[in-house]
Amino acid sequence: MLRSKSTDTPFLAGPDTLEIQQEEHPFSFRSSKDEKLNASVVEAVNRMGGVGEDAEENYRRALSSLRNRGPGVLDVIAAEYEDLPEDSYLDRWSLVQLLVELRYPEAVKPLSRIIAARIPAEKFRKSHDMSTVAEEVMIRTTAVEGLVRLSADGVAEAQEALLRHAGHRTFSIRRACVQGLMQTGTDDNKRKLRRLLKERKEEGLLKIKQVNVRSVPQPIGGRFVVPPQVKSEAPPPDLGATKE
Amino acid sequence: MASCTYTVPDKAASGDNFYGVVICNQVYVDYFWNTYGFSGNKAYWDDGWGWDDCCNTSKPLARAFNGCYALTYSASDYLNDSYSAPILNWGRRYVRENIDDLRCFCGDGTAIARSKSGGLVEVYLGFFYSKDVPGRAETLIHESRHQGGKPHDANFPSGSVFGSGKSGADSSWDYEGAWMYGALYLWWYYAEGARTTSALRERARQRGNLVIDNAFATHPGFSI
Repeated sequence: MLRSKSTDTPFLAGPDTLEIQQEEHPFSFRSSKDEKLNASVVEAVNRMGGVGEDAEENYRRALSSLRNRGPGVLDVIAAEYEDLPEDSYLDRWSLVQLLVELRYPEAVKPLSRIIAARIPAEKFRKSHDMSTVAEEVMIRTTAVEGLVRLSADGVAEAQEALLRHAGHRTFSIRRACVQGLMQTGTDDNKRKLRRLLKERKEEGLLKIKQVNVRSVPQPIGGRFVVPPQVKSEAPPPDLGATKE
Repeated sequence: MASCTYTVPDKAASGDNFYGVVICNQVYVDYFWNTYGFSGNKAYWDDGWGWDDCCNTSKPLARAFNGCYALTYSASDYLNDSYSAPILNWGRRYVRENIDDLRCFCGDGTAIARSKSGGLVEVYLGFFYSKDVPGRAETLIHESRHQGGKPHDANFPSGSVFGSGKSGADSSWDYEGAWMYGALYLWWYYAEGARTTSALRERARQRGNLVIDNAFATHPGFSI
């Protein structure tokens, strides 16, 4: 059985054409003249996107090297975050993820500042799958995750910040703060949170639970079952690059 | 015909630097080309889109292949693509069985991808340059679900980042629509994704939660 495929019929009119321009990396390091430190930041961000059996190990090694520089590195990362263009969403997210992973108590301030920063108006109003607000929210919920981890470490300022941001105007940010504080906060902070949610008539947020993926309804089957004799198996994942 | 230019963003956190090294193997190129709807569409992937430079992760084709690699190999037992396994396993099969033609266009900046009739899926610049690698796999699954017969059936809820009251949402998790498939794929990627880093898995978690919070008319009541 063969699936119907279109042929490589030559075009009468041409298809779309694309020209790309490249840049080395997006960071300027205007506030840091320490080239080794800057290189460590770039390396850690690079290793975030790793693939293969040793990807996590390489990423952890890069993080460890950065952490050895002490909490002063937070200022460099935070300054880079501020310097990046607004639409460099993934790059901005990667720096926030670094702040989260380094797990320094001193990160509460920059993380909190990122969460509180005004979310710019949507740039793709006509789209249902592209949203600049969505990108901004993901940056901020990742920053919330940083506060949650610090809260779990017993950093009081992180819990206070979570409590404060539980009143954020964006639903996903409120939801993340509420879940994080309920999981890691002191009894006193949880009491304050419940009071806040009652005042705001948002106790429903307490009902949204973090669960294991196995416990949620899964889709039932697919449309087709391909007979094994016509199924093309994927090659193994670790062949390595073709030698030229 | 449209002409577009794009300044390639940093390829680090997106995963393109490293996936790019891996996919540069004729075996993978052949497999992805013949499996995920590229075959028969050379004309679309030419002229700057990477057909003649398919290892260059600054160009769209290699970035699409990176997404295909994540789609194919992110389950530790990737050879099991049974529909009774998690979507992390059978997502690749679902895409394979539902996308007949995958074509690239500049787009007008209002969409990442669109599903057309007859197994045709169009992907636009945002697919290659604003999505990270697992995010591209999610998009292929999302569009495949439309090909599988599930259009969006509701408006986005009040306060949704995708636009309160706009069409394009799914009514509920149980509708088993494109948003559910995409979110569930990201959830499994976060929970059990193999050959990746905890950072990309965390990114998948954040994106999955965003979808759960904002793309269903009725919130499912759980999160990742």
